[in-house]
Amino acid sequence: MRRAARLGLTFVVALVIGHVGTILAAPHAIMAVAMARLSQRGDVVNRFRFAPRVDGASRSVVRPSPDLAYGSCVYDLAQGPIRVRAAATADHGYGLIAVFAANTDTLAAFDTLTHPQGIDFVLALPGQPVPAGASVVRATTTRGIILDRRLAPDAAAFAAADRARAGDRCGPA
Amino acid sequence: MASRAAFLAVAALGLVIGAGSAVAWMGRGLAPVGGGWMGSRVAGSGEADPWTRARVALTGLMALNRHQALYFVRRSDDAGHPLVDRCRYRLSGGPLPGRWWSVTVYAADNYLPQNDDHALSVDATRVHPDGAGRWQAIASAREEPGQVRVSTRSAGQFDLTLRIYAPTAAAQADLAAIVLPRVERIDCGKGAGAGAGAGEGA
Repeated sequence: MRRAARLGLTFVVALVIGHVGTILAAPHAIMAVAMARLSQRGDVVNRFRFAPRVDGASRSVVRPSPDLAYGSCVYDLAQGPIRVRAAATADHGYGLIAVFAANTDTLAAFDTLTHPQGIDFVLALPGQPVPAGASVVRATTTRGIILDRRLAPDAAAFAAADRARAGDRCGPA
Repeated sequence: MASRAAFLAVAALGLVIGAGSAVAWMGRGLAPVGGGWMGSRVAGSGEADPWTRARVALTGLMALNRHQALYFVRRSDDAGHPLVDRCRYRLSGGPLPGRWWSVTVYAADNYLPQNDDHALSVDATRVHPDGAGRWQAIASAREEPGQVRVSTRSAGQFDLTLRIYAPTAAAQADLAAIVLPRVERIDCGKGAGAGAGAGEGA
């Protein structure tokens, strides 16, 4: 009887560990896969890459929007802070830059409504020195993803967004 | 020895079932917010509990928080029937509380349907609202002459995702107060989803 109870308890404890462990690990694991894909297995880090217009063949990240032009920079702050700059799209096209931690949390977001002249900030880990006067975002994880989304529901809007995002920069501060 | 093996087997079984239950939970989607739509005020933010964070990671990686965008998903029509590519649906609604919105079709694998119709979504710039701001579109696997259409061809059993960018403060505060679009089934036909991969999860 006692053996059966101990087996039952073992099962319940393992069940809880399996469930909670998976829930806690999943965001990190899924982000790691996304970072590997977007950085071409780590070859393109601290540099923007720009996706072609989204269509049915787009498979880098789940649920891409066909109405947005995407740019991504997989960041790694191990060697120090990085500076991120994004020019506004012509004709006041809506755009947004968001910084994601390795656990999927949004650390910061800047859009062209509040930054019509363009976006410029430094991303640094707590304690890392940053240039005086810079707008600073403090990261919670060493690695993560910066995503540039620009409204581009048709070919002309995508072309305008593509021209603007070519000026995006993501590199050592 | 046999006793130890039994405990290890039970522990392994518990771990596998626990992990499986977590994956099943993550695939269930977010909480109902009314009208058949699901959503979350805390998706994409540090306020999200681990279960919400895991769900969003699996089905909406890199979602923005509510200050930048609101996301709503539905997998059924207004009558509660699953959305499938062999049926046609009428999407209709009024003004939505944000700078821009779109409704996009996603297949069961969380990616866009693999078709080349160039109509995988409908957005605020493409609909033709009347004087009261009311609009409508058709979700269909086939062309719909004269209609604003979002293509469900090759979508299999699909869902609809509504994005509202730069939402108003009132919308951020109370998702249930947003009047979300209706999705009415028009008709279904055996051939309505015809095309490469029709009926598959894509």
